[in-house]
Amino acid sequence: MPPKIAVRGLHHAYVNRFTRERVVALAGVDLEVAEGEFLTVVGPSGCGKTTLLGILAGFVVPTRGEVLLDGRPVAGPGPDRGVVFQELAILPWRTVERNIAHGPEIRGVPRAERMAIVRRLVEMVGLVGFEKKYPHELSGGMKQRVAVARTLAANPEIMLMDEPFAAVDAQTRMTLQEELNTIARATGKTILFVTHNVEEAVFLGDRCCVLSRRPGRVKALVPVPVPRAERTWKRVPAEPGFEATKDMVLTLVREEVSGDERPGGERPGAPPSPGGWGGGVGGVEGGAE
Amino acid sequence: MTRTEAALAWGMLLTGFLAAWSLVAAAVPAPAYVLPPPTAVFDAAGELIAKGILPFYIAESLRRILTAAVVALVLGVPVGLALGMSRRVAEFAYPVLNFFQSVSGIAWLPLMLVWFGFGERTILVAVNYTVLFPVIFNVLLGVRSVPRMYGDALRTLGASRWRILRDVLVPGALPNIATGLRLGLAYGWRALIAAEMLVGAHGLGSMIFTAQAFHLTARIMLGMAAIGVLWVLFDYFILRPFEEATFARWGLVHR
Repeated sequence: MPPKIAVRGLHHAYVNRFTRERVVALAGVDLEVAEGEFLTVVGPSGCGKTTLLGILAGFVVPTRGEVLLDGRPVAGPGPDRGVVFQELAILPWRTVERNIAHGPEIRGVPRAERMAIVRRLVEMVGLVGFEKKYPHELSGGMKQRVAVARTLAANPEIMLMDEPFAAVDAQTRMTLQEELNTIARATGKTILFVTHNVEEAVFLGDRCCVLSRRPGRVKALVPVPVPRAERTWKRVPAEPGFEATKDMVLTLVREEVSGDERPGGERPGAPPSPGGWGGGVGGVEGGAE
Repeated sequence: MTRTEAALAWGMLLTGFLAAWSLVAAAVPAPAYVLPPPTAVFDAAGELIAKGILPFYIAESLRRILTAAVVALVLGVPVGLALGMSRRVAEFAYPVLNFFQSVSGIAWLPLMLVWFGFGERTILVAVNYTVLFPVIFNVLLGVRSVPRMYGDALRTLGASRWRILRDVLVPGALPNIATGLRLGLAYGWRALIAAEMLVGAHGLGSMIFTAQAFHLTARIMLGMAAIGVLWVLFDYFILRPFEEATFARWGLVHR
Protein backbone atom coordinates (compact mmCIF):
# COMPACT_ATOMS: atom_id res chain seq x y z
CA MET A 1 0.00 0.00 0.00
CA PRO A 2 1.43 3.43 -0.89
CA PRO A 3 1.94 5.91 1.96
CA LYS A 4 -0.91 8.36 2.57
CA ILE A 5 1.32 11.28 1.61
CA ALA A 6 4.52 10.94 -0.41
CA VAL A 7 6.66 13.98 -1.14
CA ARG A 8 9.38 13.36 -3.71
CA GLY A 9 12.25 15.68 -4.66
CA LEU A 10 10.31 18.83 -3.91
CA HIS A 11 11.96 22.09 -4.98
CA HIS A 12 10.36 25.46 -4.84
CA ALA A 13 11.62 28.91 -5.77
CA TYR A 14 9.70 32.14 -6.18
CA VAL A 15 10.27 35.87 -6.51
CA ASN A 16 9.28 37.92 -3.52
CA ARG A 17 6.71 40.35 -4.89
CA PHE A 18 7.91 43.26 -2.77
CA THR A 19 11.71 42.90 -2.60
CA ARG A 20 12.02 41.31 -6.08
CA GLU A 21 14.43 38.83 -4.51
CA ARG A 22 14.48 35.29 -5.73
CA VAL A 23 13.84 32.99 -2.82
CA VAL A 24 14.63 29.29 -2.83
CA ALA A 25 12.23 28.00 -0.21
CA LEU A 26 12.66 24.25 -0.63
CA ALA A 27 15.60 22.39 -2.15
CA GLY A 28 14.84 18.70 -2.39
CA VAL A 29 12.36 17.59 0.25
CA ASP A 30 11.56 13.88 0.47
CA LEU A 31 9.00 12.73 2.98
CA GLU A 32 6.47 10.00 3.60
CA VAL A 33 3.55 10.11 5.96
CA ALA A 34 1.66 6.93 6.83
CA GLU A 35 -2.10 6.64 7.09
CA GLY A 36 -3.22 7.80 10.54
CA GLU A 37 0.18 9.21 11.39
CA PHE A 38 0.67 12.50 13.20
CA LEU A 39 3.78 14.06 11.69
CA THR A 40 5.09 17.35 13.05
CA VAL A 41 7.37 19.54 10.95
CA VAL A 42 9.70 21.81 12.85
CA GLY A 43 12.41 24.18 11.71
CA PRO A 44 13.75 27.72 12.03
CA SER A 45 11.60 30.66 10.93
CA GLY A 46 11.62 31.10 7.17
CA CYS A 47 12.78 27.54 6.46
CA GLY A 48 9.95 26.89 4.05
CA LYS A 49 7.58 25.06 6.42
CA THR A 50 4.61 27.12 5.35
CA THR A 51 5.57 26.76 1.67
CA LEU A 52 5.69 22.97 2.10
CA LEU A 53 2.24 23.04 3.63
CA GLY A 54 0.97 25.33 0.86
CA ILE A 55 2.19 22.84 -1.73
CA LEU A 56 0.55 19.91 0.07
CA ALA A 57 -2.69 21.88 0.32
CA GLY A 58 -2.52 22.61 -3.40
CA PHE A 59 -2.27 26.41 -3.18
CA VAL A 60 1.27 26.45 -4.55
CA VAL A 61 2.55 24.58 -7.59
CA PRO A 62 6.11 23.48 -6.83
CA THR A 63 8.94 24.37 -9.20
CA ARG A 64 9.98 20.71 -9.28
CA GLY A 65 9.10 17.45 -7.60
CA GLU A 66 5.76 15.92 -6.75
CA VAL A 67 3.30 15.24 -4.00
CA LEU A 68 1.32 12.00 -4.08
CA LEU A 69 -1.76 11.28 -2.02
CA ASP A 70 -2.52 7.57 -1.97
CA GLY A 71 -0.23 7.39 -5.00
CA ARG A 72 -2.09 10.08 -6.97
CA PRO A 73 -0.56 13.52 -7.64
CA VAL A 74 -2.29 16.56 -6.08
CA ALA A 75 -3.96 19.06 -8.38
CA GLY A 76 -5.11 22.14 -6.53
CA PRO A 77 -6.85 22.44 -3.17
CA GLY A 78 -9.54 19.93 -2.35
CA PRO A 79 -11.81 18.87 0.47
CA ASP A 80 -9.74 15.70 1.02
CA ARG A 81 -7.11 17.92 2.66
CA GLY A 82 -8.37 20.20 5.40
CA VAL A 83 -6.19 23.12 6.36
CA VAL A 84 -6.11 24.85 9.75
CA PHE A 85 -4.43 28.19 9.19
CA GLN A 86 -1.78 30.09 11.10
CA GLU A 87 -3.89 33.23 11.08
CA LEU A 88 -7.49 32.98 12.05
CA ALA A 89 -9.25 32.08 8.83
CA ILE A 90 -12.72 31.55 10.25
CA LEU A 91 -15.20 34.03 8.83
CA PRO A 92 -16.09 36.98 11.11
CA TRP A 93 -19.55 37.27 9.53
CA ARG A 94 -20.58 33.74 10.43
CA THR A 95 -21.54 32.50 13.85
CA VAL A 96 -19.63 29.62 15.44
CA GLU A 97 -22.14 27.05 14.19
CA ARG A 98 -22.35 28.49 10.68
CA ASN A 99 -18.55 28.52 10.44
CA ILE A 100 -18.36 24.90 11.54
CA ALA A 101 -21.18 23.89 9.19
CA HIS A 102 -19.60 25.64 6.20
CA GLY A 103 -17.91 22.57 4.69
CA PRO A 104 -21.05 20.38 4.83
CA GLU A 105 -23.07 23.34 3.52
CA ILE A 106 -20.77 23.57 0.48
CA ARG A 107 -21.12 19.81 -0.06
CA GLY A 108 -24.88 20.22 -0.01
CA VAL A 109 -25.52 18.24 3.17
CA PRO A 110 -29.16 18.75 4.30
CA ARG A 111 -29.72 21.15 7.16
CA ALA A 112 -30.78 18.61 9.78
CA GLU A 113 -27.67 16.55 9.13
CA ARG A 114 -25.49 19.67 9.23
CA MET A 115 -26.86 20.60 12.61
CA ALA A 116 -26.12 17.09 13.89
CA ILE A 117 -22.52 17.41 12.70
CA VAL A 118 -22.24 20.81 14.39
CA ARG A 119 -23.63 19.47 17.67
CA ARG A 120 -21.15 16.59 17.71
CA LEU A 121 -18.16 18.82 16.94
CA VAL A 122 -19.13 21.66 19.24
CA GLU A 123 -19.16 19.04 21.98
CA MET A 124 -15.83 17.57 20.86
CA VAL A 125 -13.98 20.89 20.89
CA GLY A 126 -15.72 22.21 23.99
CA LEU A 127 -17.73 25.09 22.58
CA VAL A 128 -21.19 24.13 23.87
CA GLY A 129 -23.16 27.32 24.60
CA PHE A 130 -21.20 29.43 22.13
CA GLU A 131 -22.90 28.23 18.93
CA LYS A 132 -24.60 31.56 18.21
CA LYS A 133 -21.59 33.77 18.97
CA TYR A 134 -19.60 35.63 16.35
CA PRO A 135 -15.81 35.08 16.29
CA HIS A 136 -15.02 38.55 17.64
CA GLU A 137 -16.91 37.63 20.78
CA LEU A 138 -14.61 34.65 21.45
CA SER A 139 -11.13 34.31 22.96
CA GLY A 140 -8.17 33.36 20.79
CA GLY A 141 -8.24 29.75 22.01
CA MET A 142 -11.94 29.43 21.28
CA LYS A 143 -11.47 30.79 17.77
CA GLN A 144 -8.85 28.12 17.14
CA ARG A 145 -11.28 25.47 18.37
CA VAL A 146 -13.79 26.75 15.85
CA ALA A 147 -11.13 26.52 13.11
CA VAL A 148 -10.28 22.92 14.05
CA ALA A 149 -13.96 21.99 14.27
CA ARG A 150 -14.68 23.56 10.87
CA THR A 151 -11.93 21.48 9.30
CA LEU A 152 -13.13 18.29 11.03
CA ALA A 153 -16.71 18.95 9.91
CA ALA A 154 -15.59 18.73 6.29
CA ASN A 155 -14.32 15.26 7.19
CA PRO A 156 -11.01 15.41 5.28
CA GLU A 157 -8.71 12.41 5.10
CA ILE A 158 -5.73 14.60 5.89
CA MET A 159 -5.42 17.62 8.14
CA LEU A 160 -2.72 20.16 7.41
CA MET A 161 -2.08 22.52 10.31
CA ASP A 162 0.08 25.63 10.09
CA GLU A 163 1.15 26.81 13.56
CA PRO A 164 -2.47 26.90 14.65
CA PHE A 165 -1.68 27.57 18.31
CA ALA A 166 1.04 30.19 17.86
CA ALA A 167 -1.17 33.13 18.77
CA VAL A 168 -2.74 31.87 22.01
CA ASP A 169 -1.41 32.13 25.55
CA ALA A 170 0.76 29.37 27.01
CA GLN A 171 -1.90 27.76 29.25
CA THR A 172 -4.50 27.70 26.51
CA ARG A 173 -1.96 26.29 24.09
CA MET A 174 -1.24 23.34 26.39
CA THR A 175 -4.94 22.61 26.69
CA LEU A 176 -5.42 22.85 22.92
CA GLN A 177 -2.47 20.51 22.33
CA GLU A 178 -3.94 17.90 24.66
CA GLU A 179 -7.34 18.26 23.03
CA LEU A 180 -5.87 17.95 19.55
CA ASN A 181 -4.06 14.77 20.58
CA THR A 182 -7.31 13.32 21.88
CA ILE A 183 -9.22 14.33 18.75
CA ALA A 184 -6.50 13.00 16.45
CA ARG A 185 -6.55 9.64 18.23
CA ALA A 186 -10.33 9.50 18.22
CA THR A 187 -10.69 10.34 14.52
CA GLY A 188 -7.60 8.55 13.22
CA LYS A 189 -6.84 11.36 10.77
CA THR A 190 -3.49 11.69 9.05
CA ILE A 191 -2.10 14.97 10.30
CA LEU A 192 0.79 17.13 9.20
CA PHE A 193 1.40 19.83 11.76
CA VAL A 194 3.87 22.66 11.13
CA THR A 195 5.35 24.56 14.07
CA HIS A 196 8.51 26.37 15.16
CA ASN A 197 7.94 25.23 18.74
CA VAL A 198 10.07 22.15 19.44
CA GLU A 199 8.25 21.15 22.61
CA GLU A 200 4.93 21.28 20.77
CA ALA A 201 6.34 19.24 17.87
CA VAL A 202 7.60 16.49 20.18
CA PHE A 203 4.48 16.50 22.33
CA LEU A 204 2.14 16.02 19.36
CA GLY A 205 4.05 13.99 16.79
CA ASP A 206 4.42 10.28 16.18
CA ARG A 207 7.49 11.50 14.35
CA CYS A 208 9.07 14.87 14.18
CA CYS A 209 10.51 16.11 10.88
CA VAL A 210 13.30 18.67 11.31
CA LEU A 211 13.81 20.97 8.34
CA SER A 212 17.10 22.74 7.66
CA ARG A 213 17.24 26.51 7.38
CA ARG A 214 16.37 27.95 3.97
CA PRO A 215 16.53 26.50 1.43
CA GLY A 216 14.66 23.78 3.32
CA ARG A 217 15.58 20.10 3.22
CA VAL A 218 14.67 17.30 5.57
CA LYS A 219 17.51 17.29 8.10
CA ALA A 220 16.21 14.51 10.32
CA LEU A 221 13.15 12.42 11.06
CA VAL A 222 12.93 11.76 14.79
CA PRO A 223 10.44 9.23 16.17
CA VAL A 224 8.94 10.15 19.54
CA PRO A 225 9.13 7.06 21.81
CA VAL A 226 6.11 7.92 23.95
CA PRO A 227 2.73 6.30 23.19
CA ARG A 228 0.22 8.92 22.05
CA ALA A 229 -2.16 7.73 24.79
CA GLU A 230 0.34 8.90 27.37
CA ARG A 231 0.60 12.42 25.99
CA THR A 232 -0.68 14.77 28.65
CA TRP A 233 1.31 17.63 30.07
CA LYS A 234 0.97 16.03 33.46
CA ARG A 235 2.55 12.77 32.34
CA VAL A 236 5.13 13.51 29.66
CA PRO A 237 7.69 15.26 31.89
CA ALA A 238 8.04 11.94 33.70
CA GLU A 239 8.69 10.07 30.45
CA PRO A 240 12.46 9.81 29.93
CA GLY A 241 11.96 9.38 26.21
CA PHE A 242 10.13 12.69 25.95
CA GLU A 243 12.84 14.89 27.46
CA ALA A 244 15.61 13.13 25.53
CA THR A 245 13.76 13.48 22.21
CA LYS A 246 12.99 17.11 22.93
CA ASP A 247 16.67 17.85 23.65
CA MET A 248 17.72 16.05 20.50
CA VAL A 249 15.27 17.92 18.27
CA LEU A 250 16.15 21.20 19.94
CA THR A 251 19.83 20.64 19.21
CA LEU A 252 19.07 19.81 15.59
CA VAL A 253 16.98 22.97 15.17
CA ARG A 254 19.49 25.20 16.96
CA GLU A 255 22.30 24.11 14.68
CA GLU A 256 20.22 25.59 11.88
CA VAL A 257 19.35 28.83 13.62
CA SER A 258 22.93 29.67 14.67
CA GLY A 259 24.45 28.97 11.24
CA ASP A 260 25.79 31.69 8.96
CA GLU A 261 23.35 33.69 6.93
CA ARG A 262 23.10 32.59 3.37
CA PRO A 263 23.16 34.99 0.46
CA GLY A 264 19.99 35.36 -1.57
CA GLY A 265 16.77 34.98 0.32
CA GLU A 266 15.64 36.21 3.63
CA ARG A 267 17.59 36.03 6.84
CA PRO A 268 16.67 33.21 9.19
CA GLY A 269 14.57 34.71 11.91
CA ALA A 270 13.12 37.35 9.59
CA PRO A 271 9.34 37.39 9.55
CA PRO A 272 7.81 35.29 6.80
CA SER A 273 7.43 37.21 3.58
CA PRO A 274 4.07 38.81 2.93
CA GLY A 275 1.95 36.93 0.46
CA GLY A 276 1.66 33.87 2.61
CA TRP A 277 2.43 30.70 0.79
CA GLY A 278 5.42 31.97 -1.12
CA GLY A 279 4.16 31.06 -4.48
CA GLY A 280 1.37 31.63 -6.90
CA VAL A 281 1.84 34.49 -9.29
CA GLY A 282 5.53 35.13 -8.70
CA GLY A 283 6.64 31.51 -9.07
CA VAL A 284 9.82 30.88 -11.03
CA GLU A 285 10.22 28.07 -13.48
CA GLY A 286 13.41 26.12 -13.71
CA GLY A 287 15.99 24.73 -11.33
CA ALA A 288 16.51 25.86 -7.82
CA GLU A 289 20.28 25.60 -7.72
CA MET B 1 -24.57 59.40 25.80
CA THR B 2 -27.92 57.68 25.59
CA ARG B 3 -30.34 58.41 22.77
CA THR B 4 -32.52 60.58 24.98
CA GLU B 5 -29.53 62.58 26.15
CA ALA B 6 -28.34 63.03 22.59
CA ALA B 7 -31.80 64.16 21.44
CA LEU B 8 -31.89 66.60 24.35
CA ALA B 9 -28.45 67.99 23.52
CA TRP B 10 -29.36 68.41 19.84
CA GLY B 11 -32.59 70.17 20.87
CA MET B 12 -30.65 72.58 23.06
CA LEU B 13 -28.11 73.25 20.33
CA LEU B 14 -30.87 73.98 17.79
CA THR B 15 -32.77 76.24 20.21
CA GLY B 16 -29.58 78.16 21.01
CA PHE B 17 -28.78 78.55 17.34
CA LEU B 18 -32.26 79.82 16.48
CA ALA B 19 -32.18 82.26 19.42
CA ALA B 20 -28.80 83.65 18.43
CA TRP B 21 -29.95 83.93 14.82
CA SER B 22 -33.07 85.87 15.88
CA LEU B 23 -30.99 88.26 17.97
CA VAL B 24 -28.48 88.91 15.21
CA ALA B 25 -31.22 89.31 12.59
CA ALA B 26 -32.97 91.88 14.81
CA ALA B 27 -29.73 93.75 15.49
CA VAL B 28 -28.39 93.95 11.93
CA PRO B 29 -29.36 97.29 10.33
CA ALA B 30 -30.08 95.90 6.88
CA PRO B 31 -33.19 95.11 4.82
CA ALA B 32 -34.98 91.95 5.93
CA TYR B 33 -34.08 90.05 2.74
CA VAL B 34 -30.37 90.12 3.65
CA LEU B 35 -30.82 88.20 6.89
CA PRO B 36 -34.42 87.18 7.61
CA PRO B 37 -35.19 85.87 11.10
CA PRO B 38 -35.96 82.17 11.63
CA THR B 39 -39.67 82.95 11.83
CA ALA B 40 -39.55 84.12 8.21
CA VAL B 41 -38.08 80.79 7.22
CA PHE B 42 -40.83 78.94 9.10
CA ASP B 43 -43.42 81.14 7.38
CA ALA B 44 -41.86 80.30 4.00
CA ALA B 45 -41.99 76.62 4.91
CA GLY B 46 -45.67 76.86 5.84
CA GLU B 47 -46.48 78.69 2.63
CA LEU B 48 -44.55 76.35 0.32
CA ILE B 49 -45.90 73.22 1.99
CA ALA B 50 -49.46 74.56 1.77
CA LYS B 51 -48.99 75.28 -1.94
CA GLY B 52 -47.44 71.86 -2.45
CA ILE B 53 -44.26 73.34 -3.91
CA LEU B 54 -41.81 72.16 -1.26
CA PRO B 55 -43.09 68.53 -1.18
CA PHE B 56 -42.97 68.43 -4.98
CA TYR B 57 -39.42 69.81 -5.19
CA ILE B 58 -38.23 67.47 -2.44
CA ALA B 59 -39.84 64.54 -4.24
CA GLU B 60 -38.12 65.55 -7.47
CA SER B 61 -34.69 65.71 -5.83
CA LEU B 62 -35.25 62.44 -3.97
CA ARG B 63 -36.42 60.70 -7.10
CA ARG B 64 -33.20 61.67 -8.85
CA ILE B 65 -30.84 60.67 -6.06
CA LEU B 66 -32.71 57.40 -5.47
CA THR B 67 -32.42 56.56 -9.18
CA ALA B 68 -28.69 57.05 -8.82
CA ALA B 69 -28.67 54.91 -5.64
CA VAL B 70 -30.40 52.05 -7.47
CA VAL B 71 -27.98 52.31 -10.40
CA ALA B 72 -25.08 52.31 -7.94
CA LEU B 73 -26.41 49.13 -6.32
CA VAL B 74 -27.23 47.17 -9.45
CA LEU B 75 -24.34 48.40 -11.60
CA GLY B 76 -21.64 49.95 -9.38
CA VAL B 77 -21.41 47.19 -6.77
CA PRO B 78 -21.17 44.27 -9.25
CA VAL B 79 -18.64 46.14 -11.41
CA GLY B 80 -16.52 46.93 -8.33
CA LEU B 81 -16.70 43.27 -7.23
CA ALA B 82 -15.74 42.02 -10.69
CA LEU B 83 -12.80 44.41 -11.02
CA GLY B 84 -11.62 43.63 -7.49
CA MET B 85 -11.54 39.87 -7.95
CA SER B 86 -8.24 39.90 -9.81
CA ARG B 87 -5.22 41.72 -8.43
CA ARG B 88 -3.95 42.63 -11.89
CA VAL B 89 -7.26 44.01 -13.09
CA ALA B 90 -7.65 45.92 -9.82
CA GLU B 91 -4.21 47.49 -10.18
CA PHE B 92 -5.02 48.52 -13.73
CA ALA B 93 -8.42 49.96 -12.87
CA TYR B 94 -7.32 51.80 -9.75
CA PRO B 95 -5.85 54.99 -11.32
CA VAL B 96 -8.61 55.14 -13.93
CA LEU B 97 -11.34 55.02 -11.29
CA ASN B 98 -9.39 57.45 -9.15
CA PHE B 99 -9.26 59.92 -12.05
CA PHE B 100 -12.97 59.82 -12.75
CA GLN B 101 -13.80 59.95 -9.08
CA SER B 102 -11.86 63.20 -8.69
CA VAL B 103 -13.40 64.91 -11.74
CA SER B 104 -16.79 65.33 -10.11
CA GLY B 105 -20.06 65.56 -11.95
CA ILE B 106 -20.06 69.30 -11.23
CA ALA B 107 -16.90 69.73 -13.32
CA TRP B 108 -18.58 67.77 -16.11
CA LEU B 109 -21.73 69.92 -16.09
CA PRO B 110 -20.64 72.50 -18.70
CA LEU B 111 -19.79 69.70 -21.11
CA MET B 112 -22.90 67.72 -20.29
CA LEU B 113 -25.06 70.78 -20.94
CA VAL B 114 -23.61 70.87 -24.45
CA TRP B 115 -24.14 67.17 -24.96
CA PHE B 116 -27.45 66.57 -23.23
CA GLY B 117 -29.07 70.01 -23.12
CA PHE B 118 -30.78 71.97 -20.33
CA GLY B 119 -32.99 69.26 -18.99
CA GLU B 120 -33.60 66.15 -16.98
CA ARG B 121 -31.06 64.10 -18.94
CA THR B 122 -28.11 66.27 -17.93
CA ILE B 123 -29.13 66.13 -14.27
CA LEU B 124 -29.48 62.36 -14.27
CA VAL B 125 -26.21 61.76 -16.11
CA ALA B 126 -24.31 64.11 -13.78
CA VAL B 127 -25.75 62.56 -10.62
CA ASN B 128 -25.35 58.95 -11.74
CA TYR B 129 -21.80 59.60 -12.83
CA THR B 130 -20.92 61.25 -9.52
CA VAL B 131 -22.42 58.43 -7.45
CA LEU B 132 -21.06 55.58 -9.54
CA PHE B 133 -17.32 56.13 -9.41
CA PRO B 134 -16.81 56.37 -5.64
CA VAL B 135 -19.00 53.26 -5.32
CA ILE B 136 -17.00 51.21 -7.86
CA PHE B 137 -13.72 52.48 -6.42
CA ASN B 138 -14.55 51.63 -2.81
CA VAL B 139 -16.09 48.24 -3.63
CA LEU B 140 -12.90 47.35 -5.50
CA LEU B 141 -10.81 48.40 -2.50
CA GLY B 142 -13.12 46.37 -0.27
CA VAL B 143 -12.65 43.17 -2.26
CA ARG B 144 -8.88 43.63 -2.29
CA SER B 145 -8.84 44.16 1.48
CA VAL B 146 -10.45 40.79 2.29
CA PRO B 147 -7.67 38.55 3.68
CA ARG B 148 -6.73 35.92 1.11
CA MET B 149 -6.70 33.28 3.86
CA TYR B 150 -10.50 33.37 3.96
CA GLY B 151 -10.81 32.39 0.34
CA ASP B 152 -8.02 29.80 0.66
CA ALA B 153 -9.76 28.26 3.65
CA LEU B 154 -12.97 27.93 1.71
CA ARG B 155 -11.20 26.34 -1.24
CA THR B 156 -9.98 23.60 1.10
CA LEU B 157 -13.62 23.05 2.01
CA GLY B 158 -14.38 22.52 -1.67
CA ALA B 159 -15.87 25.94 -2.45
CA SER B 160 -16.32 27.19 -6.02
CA ARG B 161 -15.37 30.71 -7.13
CA TRP B 162 -19.01 31.70 -7.04
CA ARG B 163 -19.30 30.40 -3.48
CA ILE B 164 -16.19 32.34 -2.44
CA LEU B 165 -17.64 35.49 -3.99
CA ARG B 166 -20.90 35.03 -2.11
CA ASP B 167 -19.61 33.81 1.25
CA VAL B 168 -16.30 35.67 1.49
CA LEU B 169 -15.82 38.60 -0.87
CA VAL B 170 -19.23 40.24 -0.62
CA PRO B 171 -19.53 40.13 3.18
CA GLY B 172 -15.85 40.98 3.59
CA ALA B 173 -16.18 43.99 1.31
CA LEU B 174 -19.39 45.17 2.95
CA PRO B 175 -17.80 47.90 5.11
CA ASN B 176 -16.25 49.40 1.97
CA ILE B 177 -19.44 48.91 -0.01
CA ALA B 178 -21.25 50.95 2.63
CA THR B 179 -18.47 53.57 2.60
CA GLY B 180 -18.70 53.75 -1.19
CA LEU B 181 -22.46 54.23 -1.10
CA ARG B 182 -22.21 56.78 1.68
CA LEU B 183 -19.53 58.81 -0.13
CA GLY B 184 -21.03 58.37 -3.58
CA LEU B 185 -24.50 59.45 -2.48
CA ALA B 186 -23.11 62.39 -0.50
CA TYR B 187 -21.16 63.59 -3.55
CA GLY B 188 -24.14 62.83 -5.74
CA TRP B 189 -26.46 64.86 -3.53
CA ARG B 190 -24.18 67.88 -3.94
CA ALA B 191 -23.86 67.36 -7.68
CA LEU B 192 -27.63 67.06 -7.89
CA ILE B 193 -28.19 70.43 -6.21
CA ALA B 194 -25.58 72.02 -8.47
CA ALA B 195 -27.11 70.49 -11.59
CA GLU B 196 -30.61 71.57 -10.57
CA MET B 197 -29.31 75.09 -10.04
CA LEU B 198 -27.90 75.23 -13.55
CA VAL B 199 -30.61 73.32 -15.36
CA GLY B 200 -33.56 74.43 -13.26
CA ALA B 201 -35.90 71.54 -13.85
CA HIS B 202 -37.57 71.63 -10.41
CA GLY B 203 -35.86 70.16 -7.35
CA LEU B 204 -34.37 71.83 -4.29
CA GLY B 205 -31.38 73.22 -6.20
CA SER B 206 -33.56 75.01 -8.70
CA MET B 207 -35.78 76.24 -5.85
CA ILE B 208 -32.98 78.03 -4.03
CA PHE B 209 -31.45 79.37 -7.24
CA THR B 210 -34.72 80.81 -8.52
CA ALA B 211 -35.49 82.28 -5.11
CA GLN B 212 -32.29 84.30 -5.30
CA ALA B 213 -33.52 86.19 -8.37
CA PHE B 214 -36.52 87.39 -6.38
CA HIS B 215 -34.61 88.15 -3.17
CA LEU B 216 -36.60 85.43 -1.41
CA THR B 217 -33.81 84.81 1.08
CA ALA B 218 -36.00 82.90 3.53
CA ARG B 219 -36.85 80.46 0.77
CA ILE B 220 -33.13 79.96 0.03
CA MET B 221 -32.47 79.19 3.68
CA LEU B 222 -35.43 76.83 3.76
CA GLY B 223 -34.05 74.96 0.77
CA MET B 224 -30.62 74.71 2.36
CA ALA B 225 -32.10 73.38 5.59
CA ALA B 226 -34.12 70.82 3.65
CA ILE B 227 -30.99 69.63 1.78
CA GLY B 228 -29.12 69.07 5.06
CA VAL B 229 -32.02 67.56 6.99
CA LEU B 230 -32.86 65.06 4.24
CA TRP B 231 -29.27 63.76 4.22
CA VAL B 232 -29.14 63.44 8.01
CA LEU B 233 -32.41 61.49 8.00
CA PHE B 234 -31.19 59.22 5.19
CA ASP B 235 -28.00 58.46 7.09
CA TYR B 236 -29.80 57.91 10.39
CA PHE B 237 -32.67 55.76 9.14
CA ILE B 238 -31.08 53.83 6.28
CA LEU B 239 -27.28 53.70 6.26
CA ARG B 240 -26.71 53.40 10.02
CA PRO B 241 -29.22 50.61 10.72
CA PHE B 242 -27.76 48.65 7.79
CA GLU B 243 -24.25 48.97 9.24
CA GLU B 244 -25.39 48.07 12.74
CA ALA B 245 -27.08 44.92 11.49
CA THR B 246 -24.13 43.71 9.44
CA PHE B 247 -20.46 44.46 9.84
CA ALA B 248 -20.74 46.35 13.13
CA ARG B 249 -22.37 43.17 14.48
CA TRP B 250 -19.52 41.07 13.08
CA GLY B 251 -16.87 43.16 14.82
CA LEU B 252 -15.37 44.43 11.56
CA VAL B 253 -15.52 48.04 12.73
CA HIS B 254 -15.16 49.46 16.20
CA ARG B 255 -17.41 52.16 17.47
